[in-house]
Amino acid sequence: MNEARPRLAPASYDAVVIGAGLAGLTAALRLAEEGQRVAVLAKGVGATHLAPATIDVLGYDDGPVDSPARALPEFANANPQHPYRRLSINLIRASLDWFKSRLCDHGYRGGLDQNFLVPTAVGVAKPTALVPETMAAADLRQGGRFLFVGFRGLKDFFPAYLADNLARAPLPGGASVTTRVAELSPPLGLARDVSAAGFARRFEQADFRESVLVELGRHLMPGEIVGFPAVLGLDRAREVWQELEIRLGHPVFEVPTLPPSVPGLRLYETMTGALRREGARLVVGTTVAGAEGSGNRLEGVVAHNAGRPLTYRANSFVLATGGFASGGLQLDSSGKVREPVFDLPVAGLPGPDEPRFEQGYFDEHAISRAGVAVDASSRPIDSEGAPVYENLHAVGATLGGAVPWREASGNGLSLASGYAAASAILEVTS
Amino acid sequence: MPTLETEVLVIGGGSTGAGVARDAAMRGFATALVERGDLATGTTGRFHGLLHSGGRYAVKDPVAARECVVENEILRRTAADCIEDTGGLFVSTQWDDPGFGDEFLKGCRATGVPVEEVSVAETLRQEPRLDPGISRAFAVPDASLDPWKLVSACTRSATEHGARILPYHRVLDLDLRDGKVVGARVNNEQNGEELQIRAEVVINASGAWAGQIASLAGCLVAVLPGKGIMIAMNHRLVNTVVNRCKPPSDGDIIVPIRTVSVIGTTDTRVADPDELEVTQAEIDEMLDEGEKLVPGFRKARALRVWAGARPLYTPDEVADTRDVSRTHTVLDHAKRDGVGGFITITGGKTTTYRLMAEHAVDAACEKLGVDRPCTTHEEPLPGSEDERFYWLGARVRAQEPVPGSEEIICECELITRRGLIEAIARRRPTGLDDVRRRVRLAMGPCQGGFCIYRATGILHAFEHLDHQAANAALVDFLQERWKGVQPILYGDQLRQARLDDWIFQGLLAVGHLPE
Repeated sequence: MNEARPRLAPASYDAVVIGAGLAGLTAALRLAEEGQRVAVLAKGVGATHLAPATIDVLGYDDGPVDSPARALPEFANANPQHPYRRLSINLIRASLDWFKSRLCDHGYRGGLDQNFLVPTAVGVAKPTALVPETMAAADLRQGGRFLFVGFRGLKDFFPAYLADNLARAPLPGGASVTTRVAELSPPLGLARDVSAAGFARRFEQADFRESVLVELGRHLMPGEIVGFPAVLGLDRAREVWQELEIRLGHPVFEVPTLPPSVPGLRLYETMTGALRREGARLVVGTTVAGAEGSGNRLEGVVAHNAGRPLTYRANSFVLATGGFASGGLQLDSSGKVREPVFDLPVAGLPGPDEPRFEQGYFDEHAISRAGVAVDASSRPIDSEGAPVYENLHAVGATLGGAVPWREASGNGLSLASGYAAASAILEVTS
Repeated sequence: MPTLETEVLVIGGGSTGAGVARDAAMRGFATALVERGDLATGTTGRFHGLLHSGGRYAVKDPVAARECVVENEILRRTAADCIEDTGGLFVSTQWDDPGFGDEFLKGCRATGVPVEEVSVAETLRQEPRLDPGISRAFAVPDASLDPWKLVSACTRSATEHGARILPYHRVLDLDLRDGKVVGARVNNEQNGEELQIRAEVVINASGAWAGQIASLAGCLVAVLPGKGIMIAMNHRLVNTVVNRCKPPSDGDIIVPIRTVSVIGTTDTRVADPDELEVTQAEIDEMLDEGEKLVPGFRKARALRVWAGARPLYTPDEVADTRDVSRTHTVLDHAKRDGVGGFITITGGKTTTYRLMAEHAVDAACEKLGVDRPCTTHEEPLPGSEDERFYWLGARVRAQEPVPGSEEIICECELITRRGLIEAIARRRPTGLDDVRRRVRLAMGPCQGGFCIYRATGILHAFEHLDHQAANAALVDFLQERWKGVQPILYGDQLRQARLDDWIFQGLLAVGHLPE
């Protein structure tokens, strides 16, 4: 970076959000729809592209969770550092309702009272609170007869392995599932190695769908529910999914598979589209590396893009850079953990002589709960419990206290904490 | 109990055992080899991958250096497909006495190691990541050697000459009759069945475990396992083998091998070759030493750490295992202990595996009263007939004519679905870790984050596994991988590992697979 070059004139906003995962996009969209002028600064696309686009609020505690609403109070008591301890059930519920109405094109179903059980790509019946309409027919709670469809040329989905496990998945109330598999060879031209997104684009073409429908028609048996890998279209997923259901005359659903996640791409496109329509500015490909402020008030952040630093001024700031997976937290080779944008205090770290990781892969590792601690207004706090900046809020996987991939709580935490931070900012503003 | 009759029984499936089996089979002996686990999983599969020029031993261990000179030249002709001709450098860093270079040159010349001093400028042009503060550099014919390919080629050749190769067969007992070893009782670790093997000569080629095997015949063989740790970095920080020009010490070699580079090593005496703990202090030492050769080493991604146990044979107690000669020893237990039909070959190093095998089979010939000459110094290994070294770009080259024409299952290592299935079909693997060694599955930066789900699905379908076996393959792989990655998780590699956690524990919920 050439610091000697003249700086660009600062840009001014009501709120600046750093990070474009679900948490950052949620906070930004909530603020923008309330009339705030918002800028989202992101290094790249967020973890939406990695996750299945279901909203998992709390899937596992000791075992699978039936009802997040019922389980959450006890869960929060047992995990005093967990972000859910701060976020009331009503707020979580409000965030889900908001999300469902904002994403009405995705037809999200479900809620906080009862988890769905949907198959993962290895055939585990996984609890989740909200699913897009394209995944709703997967619900395993009542059992059923399922046919899983695989495609030659798609290396990220193995329906036979899925089906073998799913037929043995323990289900509540003794519900029983039978599974079958159909391996199709749709026309791919010369291509032999097609990504999930590549299949999704092909599914938006009528002749490709037609050939799948014809081939699949020969395999179907009456009463079967049909599971596809999550590749049923990008922009026009609803259209594709509905056509398959109508033409096959069977319920159809998608099973999420390896990243990049097609349902995640759809979620990202819808949310960023809504943001732009609300007049927010989205800058992807920029690194925020520095803050300007006086005392405990943050006045601006310095973003590096196009080779020149640019200061974004705002009244409030939201840190949504994620955890270790996204670079929002960093561990160096000497064992030091750092939050790289504001150098915020990181809580929940093991002591210098304690191991960071356990010997068993599936054990809970000491470092997993490390993250930024926040106050009731979602503001990062120091070891004394005082806010580091009065107008900086932290959301999503940057927060400490949770092990979201184990708890199946990732998108739920991002959504609720993003929603909560926006509410706190709006409260101060009004 | 089923019985297998053979003339020569080899115990140990590392490079030495595989070399002995091939040599014995090529000399016309009915031969069988037993290995308690997969082939090349003891010391051979856990070394840094350096084919020595002899330079490392030139000053202190001239006997070992001379052996390396000869074997290096032989392997370049007979095992070319297992070798990448990277060349080697010995460099004097700011922390090394430049005067040692003269001693080094003298030692190389005395032992026949081809050596040439090269200018610092030329060295830095060749290896621009090296610390520009180096004061001297010497070029030697070091190279990198793929241990899995080597053992695989040896056992394939042995099989072609009629040998029976039995991985996952653990020796339970040696059978002694009238003061002579006449065979062994082994356990098939895959199905639990026992097998009786009758042999005229038993060759103990179990390396660091040689003392344990010898004790089954009542013989005392003092093998000191010398632990060495190694760390694989996520790409080739250097393209030439780089050694520090100083008396051999810890963390003074970086070997570019395939898609990664490996820094090594340490040398600590341990009691049990199966208990090789890696400490944080040892890791820090590797990283600090790496920093002296390649500045910024600590910021590079460390993929995996492991430890191997050198078999250091010593009739007497020594304080420092590094002072034990790296040459090998053949023990005829009839002469030494009055136990007939039993030979131990131990010590040595992978670079001299062929010579070790030759000496061991010579001893067997003597016992059997026959004179059959060794030909392994002339006969190339399968795949090496055209004497062409392997090169890093080979897998890319294979994909280039029609990109996208094959499914790439492991993007890091460019393994196609066809290549994976061939590897599974050729030697029915016990798990995905075996497949990993065959084709380098999951050895790249993501350490299986993407390919292991795919490989599990392919293994499940191809081998008609039931759900339990497929799940065990997946879960065991994740656990085995974790052992090697967790001690060095930091920086971007922790970021990668966390993505893998999201895939396996979040997206797939592998922790909740049915029973």
